[in-house]
Amino acid sequence: MKEWLIPLLCGALTGMVSAWGVGGGTLLLLVMTLVLGVDQRTAQGINLLFFLPTAAAALFVHRKNGFLDRPTVRQAAPWGAAAAAAGAWIATFVDPAVLKKPFALFLLYTGASTLVRSFLPQKEKKSGSG
Amino acid sequence: MQAQWSTRLAGAGAGLVNGLFGGGGGMVLIPVLSRQGRLKDRQLFATSVAVILPVCAVSAAVYLFRGSVPLAAAAPYLVGGALGGILGGKTYGKVSTLWLRRLFAAFVLYGGVRYLL
Repeated sequence: MKEWLIPLLCGALTGMVSAWGVGGGTLLLLVMTLVLGVDQRTAQGINLLFFLPTAAAALFVHRKNGFLDRPTVRQAAPWGAAAAAAGAWIATFVDPAVLKKPFALFLLYTGASTLVRSFLPQKEKKSGSG
Repeated sequence: MQAQWSTRLAGAGAGLVNGLFGGGGGMVLIPVLSRQGRLKDRQLFATSVAVILPVCAVSAAVYLFRGSVPLAAAAPYLVGGALGGILGGKTYGKVSTLWLRRLFAAFVLYGGVRYLL
């Protein structure tokens, strides 16, 4: 029971906070590798799969509320998908150890900038009807 | 014109990061879109999810094709994630996330140090 209960709870918690805009797709990944001891490549694969239903569920609600900017999606998505194919191909070929340092730098940059931005004045953070 | 290219490049950067590291594309995309200043917070976030979703689908397909994802191990995370996603979507904007964001940032910094060592 424990083998699936802890992952289920971790999934639910990270799914919820990432729907709030906190977590950015790296939270579960870090929970898996640093806390639960899942190996790097498996964790990356699970993290990718994980995002699909979570994002689809969140997107369904956001779209109904009319929050999607279609021109931005049309511009960014094809480029993103092409680069993702290349990145994923590389990631599944090289030794995961090779990507550890670049990932560390990405995390340090991300953590620092998230922290800095959280202290900057926000422009109408909780506008609308909530 | 310039905004279009920065959007495309941000998409490409997000895709590369997402594919390489298995996540985190939103961390590249959101700051760029935010700096463009056209979208409000909620639009910004919803739009970035809409971009990252196909990006993730492509990455996941490659990982699956390369045999890097054990589906049985992934299943409980996915079920939990869907439940959490629905709950989070419904409660979006009703919860102050400032301290949660800072906690997350601290955890990411800790992760960065752990990966560096």
